[in-house]
Amino acid sequence: MNKYKIITSSFRILRRNKLNTFFMILGIVIGIAALSITFSMGKGAEKQLTEKVKNLFSPNNILITSGRVELESGRSSESSVTNLKIEDIEAIMNEVHGITMYAPIQVTPDRDVIFGNKNISTAINGGTAEGELVWRRSVIAGEYFTKADEKSLARVALIGTKIAKKLFENSNPIGEQIRIGAVPFTVKGVLEEKGIDPHGTDLDMNVIVPITTLMSRLMNVNYIIGAKLEVEDASQTEDIAIKVTSVLRERHSLNNNETNDFSIVTPVVVKEIIGKMNRVFTLFLPLISGIALVVGGVVIVVIMLMSVSRRVSEIGLRKALGARPKDIMFQFLVEASVVSLLGGILGLAIGLTGTWIFLFSRGLTFFIPWQTILFGVLFPVIIGIVAGIIPARKAAQMDPIEALS
Amino acid sequence: MIQLKNISKIYGKDGGQQIKALDNASLTIDKGEFVAIIGASGSGKSTMMNILGMLDRPTSGEYYLENKEVSTLTDDELAHIRNKKIGFVFQKFHLLPKTTAEENVELPLIYSDRKNTHTLAIEALGKVGLSNRSKHRTNELSGGQQQRVAIARALVNEPEVILGDEPTGNLDSKSGLEVVGVLQELNRSGKTIILITHSSEIAEHANRVIRIHDGKITEDYKVEQPLDARAELAELEKTNN
Repeated sequence: MNKYKIITSSFRILRRNKLNTFFMILGIVIGIAALSITFSMGKGAEKQLTEKVKNLFSPNNILITSGRVELESGRSSESSVTNLKIEDIEAIMNEVHGITMYAPIQVTPDRDVIFGNKNISTAINGGTAEGELVWRRSVIAGEYFTKADEKSLARVALIGTKIAKKLFENSNPIGEQIRIGAVPFTVKGVLEEKGIDPHGTDLDMNVIVPITTLMSRLMNVNYIIGAKLEVEDASQTEDIAIKVTSVLRERHSLNNNETNDFSIVTPVVVKEIIGKMNRVFTLFLPLISGIALVVGGVVIVVIMLMSVSRRVSEIGLRKALGARPKDIMFQFLVEASVVSLLGGILGLAIGLTGTWIFLFSRGLTFFIPWQTILFGVLFPVIIGIVAGIIPARKAAQMDPIEALS
Repeated sequence: MIQLKNISKIYGKDGGQQIKALDNASLTIDKGEFVAIIGASGSGKSTMMNILGMLDRPTSGEYYLENKEVSTLTDDELAHIRNKKIGFVFQKFHLLPKTTAEENVELPLIYSDRKNTHTLAIEALGKVGLSNRSKHRTNELSGGQQQRVAIARALVNEPEVILGDEPTGNLDSKSGLEVVGVLQELNRSGKTIILITHSSEIAEHANRVIRIHDGKITEDYKVEQPLDARAELAELEKTNN
């Protein structure tokens, strides 16, 4: 048997039965498009998340947040717990060995940031001199905070590049007076570009002022919402996290039967959170597209069965001319897998274009995970062969005499 | 070449109503013969055709093709023999729709191990006078042309026997004569032709006529002077002009 001729003739047959081919392809196209969209986005999200998290959170970081973090949803619940103090962190620095630096965290709700007649509403973050190292983010113009700024509750601010662009356009913002709400601040530096963080916050819209200034002049509070610790030896991070927990529990006078009124996030915990988020993308959504693929497969079975009934005389003829049952079987399996492979390729094209448009419009980078291509080609072929078996057997077992009469 | 010994074909189950389509039929066909098998509908000639073409197996009896018993072979072996030894021409042409002449002619070669299938197909179309129609789709051809494509398909794998099942049944008399003319020409070049027909007029073009009635061979005679389809066509042309 000339397999090559059978394969090329299957293309011809599909081309000449466009409507059938269209419906057979449809389910597979939808399935593979959905699969490639979800998978590419999932992989893309995972990649970006991992990169961003690596930026923010390296293996030697520990994050303390006040209140309990809901790990299930993968994000921290905003809590109104007010008992985490800078003094707590300072006590940790004194009592636990192996921590080199820390940066306390406090942030306001959106405030108006005003320069001249220009006005932007954004959250104001608290920072410290060491924050430059702890957050791995320096300034591209001007200077970072100093310890003296912290001590003197200096009214100085560091602004993100987008804030600088919006308020000052092309003029130099360093040394200019801006107002945050009613309080005047001097722009001390412009922060490095960082893009969008895993929570969707645009870090280039950041405004950072010394945390002491933030707490007393802008918020009038005496607590922080968290702190990031920098551990000297990454292999010690998990052990240190346990010690940090016990120091905090002691300082917050928690009994053995009380749960923590704070959360400790370590690289291990972050990995778990990312894993949970990814499961949504790489497990649940492909499941949905899997259902579309199964439906597509069933459509192929039904249409192929109809096609076999319509082509009874062709099958009889081929048998009379010397086709063995397995040759007929092969032909119909090839037709089924070719049609679903076409669907797969078309679905991939649509899916990847869709992903590209989506990511491009959001300013995110686009990449094609190799798994998408592999599955987009492999799945349809498997579906085609499986879906083709019943019709192909029916055709192969057809009696040539009945078929020809 | 072909030898049938006491072939019977019974349809229907034991105990139920049984129809003897063929009843102890025996015949021998030599290489190079042009045999017409003639009979009314229901006489058993279609069953004869199916058994000769190895599309069906006899209930009893033996079938020798080139001295080899074939009725006991497997389906795959029969498919192989059909492909190599027998060329079929059907009443309803059985060409693939929306497909070109050459693709149709190529079809038996797909199931053989022959190379250059395309060239062979074009050659076969040349033998039936249709080399200029090779790229035409079958639905663009006249009935007579379609049947000639079918004959080219029957020829392409160079079989020993060409088996025609009422090949003129769906054609007007002129196209019918053309098709018979092609078959006579093939016979002259050495092919064995078996033509199943209900028309004694068509049968008169063969060298030998076998008549079947109620599943039995009732007559088997040589035709001393077969009609020549080419001459008749020429005659027809003359009277029309």
